Parts: sequence; structure tokens; C-alpha cells
Amino acid sequence: MRECDHRWRMEDVSFGFVAFERCFHCNGLRTFFSREQTPFVGEEYREGQCFWSRVENAQSFRFSLCCVRCGERVEFDELMGLLHCTECDPKCRVEVLRQQLEAEGHWILVGFGFIDKDRVIPIPPAKLDILTDYFNQRRHPSRPKLRLLSFELIGSVSRCRGDFLHDIGMLALQPPSDRRSPFDSSSIGNSHRETTHDDPQPR
Amino acid sequence: MTIHNLVEQLKLKPLSTFDDRTVEGVFVSDMLSDVMAGAKSGSLWLTVQTHKSIIPAANLVDVAAVVVTSAKSVPQETIDLASKYKIAILSSELATFELVGRLYSLGLGGP
Repeated sequence: MRECDHRWRMEDVSFGFVAFERCFHCNGLRTFFSREQTPFVGEEYREGQCFWSRVENAQSFRFSLCCVRCGERVEFDELMGLLHCTECDPKCRVEVLRQQLEAEGHWILVGFGFIDKDRVIPIPPAKLDILTDYFNQRRHPSRPKLRLLSFELIGSVSRCRGDFLHDIGMLALQPPSDRRSPFDSSSIGNSHRETTHDDPQPR
Repeated sequence: MTIHNLVEQLKLKPLSTFDDRTVEGVFVSDMLSDVMAGAKSGSLWLTVQTHKSIIPAANLVDVAAVVVTSAKSVPQETIDLASKYKIAILSSELATFELVGRLYSLGLGGP
């Protein structure tokens, strides 16, 4: 039996926030999706040895993809967002691939999983391929194709200067004057402790 | 109706270099998440956002052009990125409400 030639449709769209929390005891970072009506910043709470404090909220959304032909449904609960490569590190494997793929007429974005205490939750390659197919199916056939890459190709996540396609800072209309890594604790309001710049590791 | 038709009829100011293409409808939002979830290929995206991130979001969902309304100043890095992706970024003196009315009168609807 021939496998389905999927045609994906976005469903179960739910708007909310990607919340960033920092522990001022271990300097760990974690992120999660929140459907709060009004997200807060700054309130601290203890969980085991950690003292978590919300340091940033970025408006985002969560969704599933459903094949209109066979009904297969794929949830993307582990997807924190898509990152635009800013070509900050010529040795980064994303940058190397970006140059190669752009020369072949493809645009790239990086799929990023949520962070659980400095470990980025991996997104299975098959899911990134499905997401790539979905966004390409939304494009006019004459336009260059997209390719979504895994964050695991990033050379050093803590030094990455990529731009997340989130509305960080809500409705800020102007770009920040000083671009910093989204994982640099000083860029998201940690006033308790200097960062150690340890890379989040895939688990 | 093409991007060049709209530039002429609505006195829009092109800021980037772009491939002319047919505009299929209009999408209005200042949130990237809205655009990624709801805009369609060939949409004209009206916004007051000028941050560079609007361009990869526009490219992701294949919008035909981004129109920055109310004569907001657009940073050069946003314009350069739009030119790289061959996406039109257009500036309008009109407020979003006024521009939507003009687009509607030209026969354009939702995405």
C-alpha cells in the first residue's frame, strides 16, 4: 500500500507566551509555554534547591499539524520557536549549512526545543521534516523552499546571536541596540549572579 | 493586482528590492505569532512593526509584501534582509485603518 503524500494543515492553534525562568541559585534557565492571560515578570518561588524567577515572556503560539488526506496528527509541544540565523559564527554548522543551502536556493530557519534547566529538549528530525514540508506547502511553488534545521547544529548555543521569531518584549517596535544571546543570563534580567555561559545540552 | 499596481495606486514607497508578484489578500497584525499562524502565501501584511524579525516571519509564510504604516521609520538592517529574501517592504504615510479602507475599495479582502 502506498504511503500517504501528506498535505498538512495547522490545527489546535493556541496563543500564549514562552516564559523564561532563571534560578539565581544554580543559574539554570528553563522555558515553557504558558497560556496565562497576563504574564508576570519577577515573582520568585522555590522548587527543591532552585529559586526560580520569571525573567521574560515572549508572545508565541502552539499548534498541531493534521494531514487532510489521511488524518495523521502531529503535535509540536516541544517546539519553543524558530530561530533566524544571523551569521554570527562562521564556524557554526548552521552557518556552514546556511551558506550551502542558500547557494542551492533554500532559506533556512532553526527549530528550537524548550529548555529544561540548561538542556534543550530535542525535536525529532522526522518532526522537523514534517514542519519543513508544512511551511513549504504554504508557499507559492515558484518561491524558494525553506529548510528547518536542528538547534543541535549550533556550535555554541550560549554565544548564538540568532533572532527568535517571538515577540520578545511584547510590542517593542525597534530592534535592541545591543544584540545578545537569548541564553545569556544578563540579557534577560538576571540580577542575582553572573552567567557561567555553560551551553544547554540536548538530553 | 500586483505589488507594483498597489505601489502606484496607493503611493506606497518601496524600500527594498523585490520580485513583483500577485497580491492575494490582506493580513493585518503586529504580532509575529499571528502572522505565522494566519497569513497566507501572497498576502499583503500591514504592520507598524519594523524589527528585523518581521522579515524571516514574512518569508516563512511567503507573504507578498510587508507594508509599514503610519510612516514608521524602518531600520536599514530590516530593509537589507527584505532585499536578500526579495520581499517587498513598503512604507505608507497612511494609518493602518485608512490603508485597509483603500485596499478594500480596490477589491482586496482577507487572506
